Amino acid sequence: MATQGINFQNLSLKDALDLAVLIEEEARDRYLELAEQLETHHTPEAAVFFRKMVRVEEIHRSQLDKRRHELFGDMPMTVTRAMIFDIEAPEYDEARADMSVQAALQASMRSEKKAHDFFARALPEVRDEAVKALFSELRDEELEHQRWVQLELDRAPGEPNPAFDDSDEPVAL
Amino acid sequence: MTALATLPPAQFKSELKPIWCPGCGDYGVVQAIYRALSAIGRPPHEIAFISGIGCSSRIPGYTTAYGFNTVHGRALPIAQGLKLANPDLLVLVAGGDGDGFSIGGGHVPHAIRRNLDLTYIVMDNQVYGLTKGQLSPTSPKGLKTVTSAYGSLESPINPLLQVLSCGAGFVAQSTPADMPGLAAVIEEAIRYPGFSFVNVQSPCVTFGEEDQQVKAHKGRMQSLASKGHDPADYLKALELATHYGVELYTGVFYRNPNPPATYDAQVRERQAELQKTAVPRERILEMFQKG
Amino acid sequence: MRDIVIGMAGSGGDGIVSAGESLIAAAASLGFHAMMTKSFGPQIRGGESSCRVRLSTRELHSSGGALGVAIALNWEDFLKFGSELRCDDATVVIYEAKTGVLPEHIPLGNIKPREIMAVPLAELTKQSAGTEKAKNSLVLGLLSGWLGLSQDTLRKGIQRRYGKKGEEIVNGNLRAFEAGRQYADAHPSQTPLRLDAPAAATTKILTDGNDITAAAAIFAGCQFFGGYPITPSSEVMQFLGKEIWKYGGAVLQAEDEIAGIGTAVGASFGGKKAMTATSGPGMSLKTEILGLATIAELPLVVVNVQRGGPSTGLPTKPEQSDLYQACFSAHGDVLRPVLAPTSVADSFHCTVDAFNIAERYQTPVIILSDQEIAQRKETCDPIDTSKLVVEDRKRPTPEQLEKYTRFAASPDGISPISHPGMKGGAYLAAGIEHTESGAPSASGAVHARMNDKRFNKLLPLESWSGAVTVAGDAGADLALIAWGSIGGVALEVLDLAQAEGLRLKVLVPRLLYPVPKEVYRSFLRNVNSGLVVEQSHQGQLYKILRMELDLPKGLVSYCRSGANPIQPSEVLAKLKALSADARRSLS
Repeated sequence: MATQGINFQNLSLKDALDLAVLIEEEARDRYLELAEQLETHHTPEAAVFFRKMVRVEEIHRSQLDKRRHELFGDMPMTVTRAMIFDIEAPEYDEARADMSVQAALQASMRSEKKAHDFFARALPEVRDEAVKALFSELRDEELEHQRWVQLELDRAPGEPNPAFDDSDEPVAL
Repeated sequence: MTALATLPPAQFKSELKPIWCPGCGDYGVVQAIYRALSAIGRPPHEIAFISGIGCSSRIPGYTTAYGFNTVHGRALPIAQGLKLANPDLLVLVAGGDGDGFSIGGGHVPHAIRRNLDLTYIVMDNQVYGLTKGQLSPTSPKGLKTVTSAYGSLESPINPLLQVLSCGAGFVAQSTPADMPGLAAVIEEAIRYPGFSFVNVQSPCVTFGEEDQQVKAHKGRMQSLASKGHDPADYLKALELATHYGVELYTGVFYRNPNPPATYDAQVRERQAELQKTAVPRERILEMFQKG
Repeated sequence: MRDIVIGMAGSGGDGIVSAGESLIAAAASLGFHAMMTKSFGPQIRGGESSCRVRLSTRELHSSGGALGVAIALNWEDFLKFGSELRCDDATVVIYEAKTGVLPEHIPLGNIKPREIMAVPLAELTKQSAGTEKAKNSLVLGLLSGWLGLSQDTLRKGIQRRYGKKGEEIVNGNLRAFEAGRQYADAHPSQTPLRLDAPAAATTKILTDGNDITAAAAIFAGCQFFGGYPITPSSEVMQFLGKEIWKYGGAVLQAEDEIAGIGTAVGASFGGKKAMTATSGPGMSLKTEILGLATIAELPLVVVNVQRGGPSTGLPTKPEQSDLYQACFSAHGDVLRPVLAPTSVADSFHCTVDAFNIAERYQTPVIILSDQEIAQRKETCDPIDTSKLVVEDRKRPTPEQLEKYTRFAASPDGISPISHPGMKGGAYLAAGIEHTESGAPSASGAVHARMNDKRFNKLLPLESWSGAVTVAGDAGADLALIAWGSIGGVALEVLDLAQAEGLRLKVLVPRLLYPVPKEVYRSFLRNVNSGLVVEQSHQGQLYKILRMELDLPKGLVSYCRSGANPIQPSEVLAKLKALSADARRSLS
């Protein structure tokens, strides 16, 4: 989780909203990539969960995007995806072939925590009151997401006994 | 706020789905490359990405640039020919530690001394992943692999020290555990006018050692900037490079403060100078006809 | 006299090869047909050296048979070139009197030359030039006198050659030349040696196979050469290293043979015509990247100037033993066009053809030259380049670039090829098997389809009009097939046969692979017997033809290892014997 070239002190509400949109977009795209990775590596259950996360993050993204357009119309964006690194997106290192649904959920949990920490850490720097309000709201939403993931985790089947693992050897190409 | 990039990183991502194992460090590397290219701002068709053979050498296909996934160890010569044929291109070269420092090791010193304006990214994972876990030229001594059942008896190559000692003008190292740092050094390498080298400690999730994974990197990595290293200090860079395999330093080891003219620039000068003396192609045989 | 072969040998310091260069340069500017081959001892400097110069009023196809004039500056060196400087009973032998060998004791074994002259070469040179160093100019003077070659032209040559070294050297050499000339006038040969006037006194092109190959590459639009020095092909790189920059191109002397071809493939991927040149050992190293150019469908011209092999073999001597390698050295199913020039002039055409084929079919093409053609100097008539076509690869149209598919199926198997920098044309080139779009694929169906594409696109080549040269009596049942420099020998055999009234036809393939089967079939239709003559131990073309065609039983292989020149006279004798056998068995 990192940013590049963002000055939180003079962040405008438009830029803040755009950042929020981009953070959700990055998470959506990453979940899609990880889902595809798992699908091509025969890990369908975890992939199904990641695909679900794609939809969830897209809903968050479009809600924020709608707000942005209501407030600022089509004013051009001045923040870019290149400024954010893995804010809410799970890191590539989170995926594994044959990972369990539970492991996928835990990866998601770590991601939601990262996102929460991002807004929590940025808040003290922010000067603009409207941005402060937005970041507080988003920080709290991330807590909400964590609760949701926790519910999913509680319902998820337990980790299979690793002793049952009899996977084929990796393949040489 | 930095200027808005006209080409977002996603513009450099191709339709092709990577076959790398989930969790592979190379996913981070390709992501960092998208970002670096986005920052550079050249459109994909002006970029050519040349690779050898190995897991990491699949990388050109995952970009929207022109790609050439060549044969094992020969990416550098092919990239140099391409750059001379078309010096306006942005040419990236990529491969693994086996590609660059074992089978293709003979090409590295020459690419460096020639100093074409290329960026060579090595994804160094200390193991042969594509062929299932054999010893690599950067495997630590004593490593047990399928080809070193009782532990390897040989010392690893130190890519950083080798490349520095050959005279590369830009030498950096990073890891996908530090995405902003990785994207930044790749961008800086591309911007360096001459041969630039980035060693990426890119973990092999399937055959790599536990202490070489991204999580371990996060605990081990130390940025050279935070150590107060001045990238213009060549001797200090050499000293720091000797810690390869022990410490995980990230950032720029060396950046030549006075980059010499590149080979490709000199070729252009020579062409411009000599073009005036050309007889038309169709009359070339006249030089063999002396009265 | 219309045709004469002069052979000379001495120590490197005698400058005998330089005398040969002056002689052939003069002959070329006077309008003679001429050919010169050189042969050296293994020393880099200070060894023995020799040359053969053949002068004629008619077109030449080979460096000829036994010497008409033999010049030995000392016998030890001369005898080291036994097979290159063969004498017979028609030879006029001239040798250094200082050797003290009596004419009746010259060391030529059983050979009784027609005429023997011991000339005090060193002494005459010392007297005239003040140094023995100008011996080669004295020899030129002798030849000028005996052959009746224009003094002025030879003198001009001496002035040109030594001009840079200053007046003293020029004058010394001119005095030695004059002394030789006077000696020849005072001691006319018993044997008539005077050459007839050339048919047309127009200046001819004079060059060797390597230089003209390089010049042809520039003519064909080559803009990149990557290579590594290797005998006997280095001159290709050396020539281009001087010239190609003028045409916006570049030469890169690579760190090894693999990098040499690698850079060339890279340049071709970059949209430029590219070439590399090497000899057998280098060819072995380049093999893997040749396969890459095949599967990535990249145009590339690769020159292999053959020398004796395997391994280091005979680095300075010609052989035709790399044909299997050219056709078959590949892993996987590969069809790679192989061309072979038959003369220095044909090296020009062959190289232009190779570039055209490479560009048209998007494939590597091998030019199999050999040390003989590559390093022999030869005259040829000026080539009208305006009649030659230079092709470029099929590039995508703006419409095709809107939705570009690099390896798109097409009726002729040739897909438009983009190159980096071309907007809309980005694709992945790869050594790995790929679909039409360039995406890597391990599918058997895709692999079979793409193999079909890569093979089918080359089918039209088999009916290419430049595939073979056919000469002689089309109705003859006696045939001679030979390629490369031996193709020239075959054409000389045809001259000899025609002079004797023997009905013979000759086929010299320029396209060795793929085998132009229909052309051979029609050539061989009424053939009962004949020879496939090759300078190799195995007779590789003969075996390839047997593999691809049903050959007449009477068509047999006649071959021997490199550096043992095959003489037109021996081939003719063999053909006569075959023809007689065939007739006996028929009657």
